[in-house]
Amino acid sequence: MIKKIVLFTLFLFNVQVNAQNQISIQYEYAHNLMKTRQYFDAITEFKRTLFFDIDKQYSYSANYSIGECYKAGAMLDNAIQYFSIAQYNARTDDEKISAQLEIIKTNILRRTTERAHQILNEIEKISSINKDSVNYWRGWAFIFNDEWKEAANSFAKINPNHELKKLAEQVDMDKVSVTFAKVISYILPGSGQIYSGSILPGLISLGWNLLSGYWTVSAFNESRVFDGSVLLGLIWLRFYRGNIQNAGDFAVQKNNEISNKALRYLQHEYKGNRP
Amino acid sequence: MTAQSDWVKWDAKEISYEIHSPTHHDYTIDKSSFGLRILSYARNAYYYFISDVDGDNCPFFPSCSAFFIQSVKESNIFRASLMFTDRFIRDMNLFKNNNRYSLHATKKYIDPINNYLLEEKRIILTTGEFIE
Amino acid sequence: MSLLNNYFSNHFLNSINFYQTKVLAIILFLLPFSTILFSQTMNIDENYFSPKNRLAFGNFLFIQEDYLRAIEEYKNYLMYIDNDTVRFKYAESFYRIGKYNEAADNFKSIFYGSLLSDEAKLAFYKASFFNGSYNSFRDICKMEGYQSEKYAKDINRLFLISHLMDESILPDTNHFLKAFPDSTKNKVRELYMMKKFPSKKNPTTAMLLSMFIPGAGKIYTGEISDGITALLTTGVLAYLAANNFKHEHNFRGWLFAGLAVFSYAGTVYGSYASAQIYNAGVRLNFDNEVKLYFEKRNYLLPKINFLKTND
Repeated sequence: MIKKIVLFTLFLFNVQVNAQNQISIQYEYAHNLMKTRQYFDAITEFKRTLFFDIDKQYSYSANYSIGECYKAGAMLDNAIQYFSIAQYNARTDDEKISAQLEIIKTNILRRTTERAHQILNEIEKISSINKDSVNYWRGWAFIFNDEWKEAANSFAKINPNHELKKLAEQVDMDKVSVTFAKVISYILPGSGQIYSGSILPGLISLGWNLLSGYWTVSAFNESRVFDGSVLLGLIWLRFYRGNIQNAGDFAVQKNNEISNKALRYLQHEYKGNRP
Repeated sequence: MTAQSDWVKWDAKEISYEIHSPTHHDYTIDKSSFGLRILSYARNAYYYFISDVDGDNCPFFPSCSAFFIQSVKESNIFRASLMFTDRFIRDMNLFKNNNRYSLHATKKYIDPINNYLLEEKRIILTTGEFIE
Repeated sequence: MSLLNNYFSNHFLNSINFYQTKVLAIILFLLPFSTILFSQTMNIDENYFSPKNRLAFGNFLFIQEDYLRAIEEYKNYLMYIDNDTVRFKYAESFYRIGKYNEAADNFKSIFYGSLLSDEAKLAFYKASFFNGSYNSFRDICKMEGYQSEKYAKDINRLFLISHLMDESILPDTNHFLKAFPDSTKNKVRELYMMKKFPSKKNPTTAMLLSMFIPGAGKIYTGEISDGITALLTTGVLAYLAANNFKHEHNFRGWLFAGLAVFSYAGTVYGSYASAQIYNAGVRLNFDNEVKLYFEKRNYLLPKINFLKTND
C-alpha cells in the first residue's frame, strides 16, 4: 500500500515537473530571442508564455521583458505600459522597485521628465530604497530636461566627486545666458550675437541697424516723412527686431550645441548606467 | 493585457539623447544647371546678409525666398515672379483667413508651390495640424 | 528528478522481493510515457506550437487587435488543418491592418464549398472597395462569378457609394437612391446633389474680375482680406508712381510703376489660382463628409458577429 502511494506521488511529481519545464523552456526561448535582438518575435513568444502560464509564475518577468523589448524598439509608450503591468504583478518589493525604475528610465528617454520626478519622489519614501539610485536617476532626469545645474546637485548628493557631477557643472558653466544676450542686444544691436560667439552675423546686424538708422534720420531731416516712415517701419524696425530675435536664437543654439556635445558623450562613451 | 499598435514588424532602434535644434536655412548649391547655380549663390547671399539677420518674419512654410526658388525650379523665372508677387501680397495681409491654411509643425501656415502652378491635380490641401 | 527516483527505487528494492522488483522496474520505466497519456486525459497539451494551441493563441491575439501576430499563428495552423472560420479570420486580420490585396486574395479562397461563402464574398468586396481604386472595384462588381445572393443588395449599395468617392459619372438619381434605406435617404440625396452640382468657382471669371479691379477675383473666391490687400497694394504703388512722376522723380516713378505692374499681374495670376484652390477645397470637404458619414455607418454593411468569439 505504501509502495503504491509513493509510486503515485512520484508519478504526479513527474507530470508537474514536465509541465513546469515546458513553460520555462518557452520563457527561455523568448529570452534568447530578446538576447539576439529579435525584439518583435521575442514579444510574441513572451505573450505566448503569458497565455499558457496558467499558474501566473511568469506574470512579472514576461511583462517586464516585453517592456524591455519595446524600449529597445524605441516604442516607449508601449514599454511603459508593460513595465506598469509588471509592477502590478510584482511579487516582492525588489521586483516592484525594479519595474518602477524602468518606468522612470523610460520616462527620461521619452523626455516626460516631470513624470520621472514624480515617481522618483514616490519611491524615495520607501525605506528599503537605495537613495543613491534615486539621486542618480534624478540627475539623469534633470540632464534630459536640460537642467544641468540641478543635475550636478543631484549627483553631488551621491559623491561630491562624481563623474557626472563634474560633467554637469562644466556644461552649466560653458552655457551662455539667453536673457543677457537679448538685453545687450536691446542696447547695442548685434552685441548679443557676438556674445554668443557669432561674430560676423553680429557685425552684419549692427551694420544694417546703423545704415537703416542713418537713412531714416536723413529722410526725416529732409522732411521726406513718407520715405522716413517706410524706412523706419519696413527696414530699421525689421532689422532691430530681428537682431533681438537672433540674439536669443543664437544663444539658444550655442547652448544646444554645448548640451548636445555632453549628451553625445553620455550616449556613446559614458560607461556607467544609462537610461 | 492591452491591445498593441505594432501592425508592421519593427527592428531595434536607438533613441538619440541629443536636443533637436530648429533647422536653419539650407545653403546647398544646386548644381543641376548654370542658372540654378547662380540662383543658389544669390539665395545664399540673401540668407546670410539679410534673411538670417532680420529675424523670422515669414508666417508661411516654405518661406517666401524658398517659395521663389522652388517656383523657378518647377516652372520659369517669369511665372515664378508672378507666384512670388502673389505670395508676397498674401504675406502682407494682416488678417489672414486661418481656415485657408493648415499649420505646419513650426506653427507656420502651409502654403506649397503646388497650389499655384495652375494644375488642379497637383493641389495639396491638408486638414488639421501637419505633423512633419 | 532521476536521482530522486533512484533513491526511492534503491530503498524499496532492499525491502521487496524479486517479483515485486520486476514490476516496480517496469512501472518506473513506463512513468515518462504515462505522463503523455495522463496529460492527454487531463487535456494539458504541453506543445505550445501544436495547431490547437496556435489557434487558441491566435484567437487571443485577434481579440487583442494584435493582428500581425495573429496572422502568423493562423498561417501556421492552416498549414496543418483547413478550417473556414480560421481562414476567414486570417483574411480579416489582413483587412484590419490595411493589407487589402492580401485580404481579398484570402477571402477568395473561401468562395466555394464553404458555409461562409457569402460572408467571404461580402468581405472580399469590402477589401476591394478600400484597396484604393474605385474603378477596379466597380469592374470587380460586374464580374458574375463573385456575386453573393445573400448580400447582393449590400454589395450593390457599396457599388453605388463608390461613385460618390471619385470622379466617375453618377448613375441616375432614382436608381441611386432606391438602393438606400429610408433612414439614410435624405442625407444620401443631399450628398448625391452636392456631387452632381458642386458649388464651384470659375477660375477664368476670377481672373477677369481681377483684371478689371485688382483683388476682385479673390473676393469672388471668398478670400476677402487677400483681395482687399491686393487692391490696396496695387493702388498705393500706382499712386506712388503717379505722384513721383508728377514731382519729376523719374527713377522712383518707374520703380513704383514697375512694382505696381508686378502687383497687378501677380494679383491676376493669384486670383486664377485662388479659384482652383477653392474648388479643390470644395472637393476635399465633400470627400471628407462622405467618408465620415459612411464610416460611422460601416458603409451600411452588416456586421459579421462570429469574429468576436473565440471560435
